[in-house]
Amino acid sequence: MTGGPNTQLRAHCTTEADGRITFRLPALDAAEPRLLLRLRPKKGMPEETVHLLPLEEAADGGRSAVLDPGPVLPEGRWDAYLLPEPEAPRERLRPGMRDQRALVDGHTRDWPAPLAVRVPYTTKDGYLAIRTWLRTAHAEIETITVTDRTMTVGARLHGATLAEGAVVRVRARGADGPVRTSGTENAGQRFSFTVDLAELADAGADRVWDVSVRPGTDAPYIRLGRLLDDIADRKEIFVYPAAAVGDARVRPYYTVDNDLSVEVKSAVTTGSRRP
Amino acid sequence: MKISFLIHNAYGIGGTITTTFNLAHALAERHEVEIVSVLRHREHPNFTLDPRVSLRPLVDLRKEKDNPLHQRPARVFPVAEYRYQQYSELTDRRIGECLEALDSDVVIGTRPGLNVHLALQAPSHVVRVGQEHLTLDNHPPRLRTALRRAYRRLDVLTTVTEADAAAYRRKMRLPGVLVEALPNSVPDPLLPPADGRAKVVVAAGRLVPVKRYDLLIEAFARVAAAHPDWQLRIYGKGEEQPRLRALIERLGLSGNVFLMGAAAPMEAEWVKGSIGAAASNFEPFGMTIVEAMRCGLPVVSTDCPYGPGEIIKDGVDGRLVPVDDADAMGAALLELVGDDERRRRMGRAAIENARRFAPGPVVEQAERLIGEAMAARSAGTRAAPQRAGLHRTLISQGFAARDTAYAAASTALRALRRGQR
Repeated sequence: MTGGPNTQLRAHCTTEADGRITFRLPALDAAEPRLLLRLRPKKGMPEETVHLLPLEEAADGGRSAVLDPGPVLPEGRWDAYLLPEPEAPRERLRPGMRDQRALVDGHTRDWPAPLAVRVPYTTKDGYLAIRTWLRTAHAEIETITVTDRTMTVGARLHGATLAEGAVVRVRARGADGPVRTSGTENAGQRFSFTVDLAELADAGADRVWDVSVRPGTDAPYIRLGRLLDDIADRKEIFVYPAAAVGDARVRPYYTVDNDLSVEVKSAVTTGSRRP
Repeated sequence: MKISFLIHNAYGIGGTITTTFNLAHALAERHEVEIVSVLRHREHPNFTLDPRVSLRPLVDLRKEKDNPLHQRPARVFPVAEYRYQQYSELTDRRIGECLEALDSDVVIGTRPGLNVHLALQAPSHVVRVGQEHLTLDNHPPRLRTALRRAYRRLDVLTTVTEADAAAYRRKMRLPGVLVEALPNSVPDPLLPPADGRAKVVVAAGRLVPVKRYDLLIEAFARVAAAHPDWQLRIYGKGEEQPRLRALIERLGLSGNVFLMGAAAPMEAEWVKGSIGAAASNFEPFGMTIVEAMRCGLPVVSTDCPYGPGEIIKDGVDGRLVPVDDADAMGAALLELVGDDERRRRMGRAAIENARRFAPGPVVEQAERLIGEAMAARSAGTRAAPQRAGLHRTLISQGFAARDTAYAAASTALRALRRGQR
């Protein structure tokens, strides 16, 4: 068994539509307990960005802490701990009830810029964590339709407006990856575009293409993705069909960051060409 | 009163584990309760156990998997039981020793093989309660034959539905055994109920063929066609996952139907929806239906044997549709999707009507059954005798003969097949 007697300590959390999160813990025998959120460092990088919230005594005898809405947390994954005393070792928290029903229809609302999105979730090993995104502007995907050679995407901008010179860019990852761009006729917040998947396949197999939009001539590119609901990890849940183009299978998918990419894979068939 | 539960593996995931924990928690309010888990394969149970309930494993697979006794076949645990392969001479011994040393007033078995153990091995001073979470009609004939002999020695046999209790009374002659339905209980929700506004239909369960998620997805295609802003979320894992994924793609529902993976607790997921759905061909009880209703969701379910029809009041707190009928299921879903007022009214009715499955009422019923069994014992009559008229005896003897014949025939068939190899 690892950890102390409190390894089963659970925190309930309720997330509101504006991103405010209220954490609730049981009564604690601690003088100045705080909730510690730790930004998970990138592999090989040192700790650490932490955010501390006081755990106030609640009416029911338990403790509660509030994470205010707005751009409080940088983008990433935050692990939740209890810090019982300033110098005491922190104790990792397990999730209790995560009430995030208010997030389910987030994609139907207007979001103020910068977008600060938080989605509490349970890690694979069963602890409480929060996925955050912090973006000055965002293009939220509403629909993806895949046919046998095209992908049509409908999206909605938050924190930006389409203007003269708007383009959609599909760019293969890696240095000097090929780029496909297309203009868009739309104006305002909503836009749609169609990507010729065969064209991506023709550029070579085993590539991943990232999809972005530049809302105006001088605007920075904004990654397209789907962030605005209750789902922290979309990759295995929002799954789209693959188009078979020649020997390749081309499939739009959501990355581990919930951004949209298109993967081109050589189909392994008995008739496939071998060098 | 001290009450011991005997369960296959308290460290896994499943309906029997959930409902046993729920009942144990509720009984712990007034009694000393322990759960004896025949097997253990991990440190902690998946579900949080109330600290008032003690948990005692008998065989720790992490250390004892290679025990030579565990390689030898079980003799007490019946061969025809579904989990026979996981039982052994080691489990036979440990369960036997555990029961022999039992200082409880009541022991509750939670599956057929364990009910047999306590029928045969529990000391005479302990009240023996067998729980059936599956159904008699779906047990193989050989198992029915084994149970028919052993279950006579129980004080109480509980099923999860009235229909199954009726089947036991009709098809098994169990003189002196109190046979009654004791539904699964679902704890009081911690979260406020769903408000009926979310454009989400929720279903949950293992992704196995009998649950007919394929039918549910086909039915939902009708909803998505008329209301593209609605989604269907299916929670659970299982062997059907790839087939269901392919079906979703084939029907062009990638943006409407989502395989969400397993979620625990489900409560936080139910409240994100405004309609629950169940499309099973067979459902011994229908725990998820009750869970959804307690969270304020009207449930559209197939009227399959046995549970749904005893839980849902058609048109009042949910809808019952014929089994294997995607059109009927689609129409019933569509009707609730398209009528906000009706959906919300039925959701409120669901909360009211599902209260009878709260731990309070269910535990009262359990206590009453135990009390009756104890009274019968002290009166020397065991439980209240059934009206075992000649007619009933003849009927149950008929079923017994048929099961024995089936069992013999299948043994012969197997012998024949072996001979052919």
